[in-house]
Amino acid sequence: MMQSYWFGDVSDGVCSPFTGDAAAVADRVRAIRTNPDDFVPPDWRSAVECGVCRDRGEYIRKLRDACMLLAERGIEEEYRQKDVALLQMVRTLDEMDTVINLLSGRAIDWYQVTRPGYSRKYLRTPSKALIRTIGRKSRGSLSRISADVERLSETRTALAREVSDTANGIMPNCSTLLGGLVAARLMYHAGGLSSLARLPGSAIQVLGARTALFSHLRGKTPPPKHGIIFQHRRVHNAPAEVRGRVARVLAAKLAIAARLDWYRGEPDPEFLDSAQARIDAAGNMP
Amino acid sequence: MIWIDGVLVSHGEGGVYGERMLAGARVWDPYRSKFAALCYKGTAPELTPEMRVLYLGAAHGTTASHVADYTETVYAVEVAPRPMQDLLEVARRRGNIVPIMADAARPEMYAPLIELVDLVYQDVAQPDQVAIALRNCIFLKTGGTLILMLKTRSVDVRRDPADVLSEAAAGLTGSGMDIVAQMWLEPYHRDHAAIVCTRGKPDRDDR
Repeated sequence: MMQSYWFGDVSDGVCSPFTGDAAAVADRVRAIRTNPDDFVPPDWRSAVECGVCRDRGEYIRKLRDACMLLAERGIEEEYRQKDVALLQMVRTLDEMDTVINLLSGRAIDWYQVTRPGYSRKYLRTPSKALIRTIGRKSRGSLSRISADVERLSETRTALAREVSDTANGIMPNCSTLLGGLVAARLMYHAGGLSSLARLPGSAIQVLGARTALFSHLRGKTPPPKHGIIFQHRRVHNAPAEVRGRVARVLAAKLAIAARLDWYRGEPDPEFLDSAQARIDAAGNMP
Repeated sequence: MIWIDGVLVSHGEGGVYGERMLAGARVWDPYRSKFAALCYKGTAPELTPEMRVLYLGAAHGTTASHVADYTETVYAVEVAPRPMQDLLEVARRRGNIVPIMADAARPEMYAPLIELVDLVYQDVAQPDQVAIALRNCIFLKTGGTLILMLKTRSVDVRRDPADVLSEAAAGLTGSGMDIVAQMWLEPYHRDHAAIVCTRGKPDRDDR
C-alpha cells in the first residue's frame, strides 16, 4: 500500500523522495488525497532514508516552512473573498450609528443644562441641525464634541455610500431588488454571501428578527413577518394587510438572487425583471 | 510540570499574550487556559520534553505556546483565518510549533503532514466534538493520551451539561478508549468538562 507524505511516497518500505522548495511541498500537500482507513502516519526516519533531510531537526524545519506557507496562503485566500471587507464595512457603519446617536443625545442633554430656558418642545429641529447649533453656541469641550459628531456623521454618510457601491458590485442581483445598503445588511446578518446563498427564502424573510422569532418559537407570539427586509421601501410602505405577503415574495426572490450573486456574480436582467414584476404584483393584489 | 510556590509556569520566551512572568518563567493562568485548569485540578498527564503533541483548535496559540514550552513538537491545527494570523506569529518565534490551517473535522486533509503523536489535545467547541476527536486518533500512538475539552454548551445548550458529559464519555469508551479521568473545570471554566483517556493499551497500570 503506497502512502503519500509531504516529503515523498513510501511504498513497502521503499521511499521515492519529493524534491522542491517549501512552495512546491505546499502544492503537493494540497494535491494529496489521503484515505483515512488505511492511513499510516509519516515517520521522520523514512524521510531521512529518503534523503530529504539529515535529522529530525531538519525534518521539522522543512515541514514547518511548508506548513507556514500553506497557512499564509490560506489566510490570503480567505480574505480575498470579496464579502470579507464588506462585512467589516457594514459592521463599522452600524457601530458608527450607535456612537453618533449616543454622543449627540449626550450633547443635547448637556446643552439643555447650560440653558435653563431652553426646551425642544414644539421645535421641529432635527437633532443633526441641533448639533450644529450647539457647536456654534457653546464653548469648550461641548462645542468640540458637537463638531466631532458632525464630522462623524459626514464620515458615516461617505461610508454608507461606499457600502452601497461595494454591495452593487459583489451582489448585483440582491442589490437591484433591495438597494445596496439593505442588501449588505442582509448579507451581514447571514454571516457572508456564501451563507446567504445557502439560506431558504423563509429564513431570509426573518433574518434580523431574532427576538421576535424566538419569542414565537417559544409559543407566545405570532411569527415575525419581516426582519432586515422591512427596511426596504416596498415592505415598509406596503399596507399592513399585504405587508407579510410582500415580505414573503421578496424574500423568496432574494434567495434566488443571492444564489445568482454567489455562484455567478453577474446581474441577470431577465430574472430581475420577472422578480420585480412579481414583487410589485404582491403589493397590488387586493 | 513546573510549579513555583503553587503557581504553574513554563519556561520559554515571554510576551506571547501579555502573560505575567515569575522568576523568569511564564505564568500559565488556569482561568485563561483549560489545560492549565486541568493541571490545577491535578489530572493533567505530565508533559515531557520528548513528547509530540497534536493540538486541535489552537486558536491564537496562547495555550499552544505553553504546551510547546514543555514538549518536543506541537502540531497546532486551526481553521479560522483571524486566530491563524496570531498563531503564525507565535510559531515564527517557536521552532517547535508546526501551524496547520485546516479543519480538525477533516484529518484526511492534513494527514500527510502529521506523524504519530503521544498526546492529542482537543479544544474545538463543536457539537460533534467526540467524533472529531476519534477521527484524529489515527495520529495517536497505542498507549497515547487523548484529552478532550468538552464545552457542553456547544454540544447542546438545552440539555443538562452532566448528560452531555456522560454521553461523550460513553462515546469514547464505545470506540475503544479507556477513560482515565473526567471532571468539571469549575471554578476556572463554567460548563466545561475535561475527559482524559488513553488508547487501547494492554497494561494500564504502568502509566
